[in-house]
Amino acid sequence: MRTATTFFAAIALFAAAAPCPAQAPKADPKPVVVPFKLLPSRHMLLDVTLNGKGPYKLIFDTGAPLNLVNSRVGKDAGLLKKKKAGGGFGFGLFGGVSQVEVDKLQVGDVTAVDLPAVVMDHPTVNAISSAFEDEFGKIEGIVGFPFFARYATTVDYQKQELVLKPTDYKPADYLGDLMTRLMSASEKGGKPRVVGAAGLWGFSVQPADDKEPGVLVKEVFQDGPAAAAGLKPGDRMLTLDGRWTDSVGDAYMAASLVRPGRTVAVVVKRDGKDITLKVTPTKGY
Amino acid sequence: MTRWLIALTAAVCTTGLLAAADPPESYEIPYRLTDTKHVLVRAKLNGKGPYNFILDTGAPAVFIPKKLAKEVGVKLDGKGWSTFDRFEVEGGVAVDGARTRVEDLFQLEGMNGLGLAGAELHGVIGYNVLAKYRITYDFTADKLTWVPLDFDPPDPKGIGRGGQGGLEVLGPIMKVLGGLMGINPNFEVRGRGFLGAETEDRKDGVYVKSVLADGPAAKAGIKAGDKFLAIRLGIGGMQKARRIDIDTPRDLARALAEAKSGDELRIEVRRGEVIETTAVTLGGGL
Repeated sequence: MRTATTFFAAIALFAAAAPCPAQAPKADPKPVVVPFKLLPSRHMLLDVTLNGKGPYKLIFDTGAPLNLVNSRVGKDAGLLKKKKAGGGFGFGLFGGVSQVEVDKLQVGDVTAVDLPAVVMDHPTVNAISSAFEDEFGKIEGIVGFPFFARYATTVDYQKQELVLKPTDYKPADYLGDLMTRLMSASEKGGKPRVVGAAGLWGFSVQPADDKEPGVLVKEVFQDGPAAAAGLKPGDRMLTLDGRWTDSVGDAYMAASLVRPGRTVAVVVKRDGKDITLKVTPTKGY
Repeated sequence: MTRWLIALTAAVCTTGLLAAADPPESYEIPYRLTDTKHVLVRAKLNGKGPYNFILDTGAPAVFIPKKLAKEVGVKLDGKGWSTFDRFEVEGGVAVDGARTRVEDLFQLEGMNGLGLAGAELHGVIGYNVLAKYRITYDFTADKLTWVPLDFDPPDPKGIGRGGQGGLEVLGPIMKVLGGLMGINPNFEVRGRGFLGAETEDRKDGVYVKSVLADGPAAKAGIKAGDKFLAIRLGIGGMQKARRIDIDTPRDLARALAEAKSGDELRIEVRRGEVIETTAVTLGGGL
């Protein structure tokens, strides 16, 4: 059931992200260019102001689910005054971890408010800092998903710049969810994850008996969206909305990400030729 | 004059099409966010896979574990580096001569051990490949945009500690702090059971808009215009029987979320003035 909840939360997010014609059109937010420095280790370094203090040198990391600063910055920027209740639960193991909220984070001309972060002296950040401190100054943390997910973020290593354009995406509270996930992980105890299409397509698939890419289309239901688009039993489906469908699970996963009413490409191999069909799933099960 | 304009427009369009055909100026790369908020893309290595990779500016290079290197048949150069014959990212990107570190990353092992991400993670894609593209991450869109750059990223340097030039410390720096708690995750994906009914959300509930001929709903006698009232699950199965009232589209989604092909349900509908209860065996399908 937890999986399902996450799944529907994702759908809800997509739905929320869809343009809403009832609202007055918002002025298109302007993209902001933020230069970064590249460390010899190829980490991206940003000058970041927290609650008006700093700037501090933080690593920009798309692989980090958290924002993180060391305890010096935590004190200096007054972050430790705003600890979250129950902060640091499972992380107590690692010693000295606090969950905090940053009121204001500024990078270049970009300002983000009310961001979650953790205060922790992370050994890898320390190691990177001491290796490059002479040239770049102290490196004291990481800026990750809770920040950049709020923007359409473009990374250009050649120009050494980030381009940030605000979007309506609201990143969920990662740490808040983590405990729930840990609990549900032990609850589920090794059951497969059930994935359903987000809409009704009207066909079924079965695995092929060779190792070539694609799955076989088994049935195509009369009058369904797939039939209307020209899908035929025996077709070998290679991609659905640009996603590889090399297994039955892959096909469901790809279809789980297409909202009803959206027209997407389905590429099939038929009589040795690749054919692109345009399918619009409807609402249904 | 008008004719000229049309001709000109046509010419411009044709040129545009030709330019777009070979090679593309940008790629739409499908991604998913894992449960741990990592950006996951899939890649085929030397034609094998697909495998799940995290896009990670916190990593200096592509990293794959030793077991995977063996599986896809890449040869090590003695310093922990290797080169793929073919490295294809889902969405059409093929990276020429992509180099990879071959190393077991405890962070990925930790996440996989707990099943935290909701998908098995096979490796990370870092600077040496990411830097060849101008990549836009926009989580309101369902694809990333990769624009190839005319840029050959220089090799990353270690930070001068430990063996291998310190590169081992430069693996993904801030993944999940996972431990091993004896959880046995299952990354297998099963398709949800198929009903073959188009639904319509109205103010007062969820209705059947149409049923697909020969689909499970049609076979069970469910008809267009029926209003969903309740679904009973766990009939004749191992699970406890449950009855879920259907008042909103969300209720219906929740009721069917974990149902598998072959599961038997009782669907209670209002048809005109009559309440009907129908047994439905879910099929396989999308």
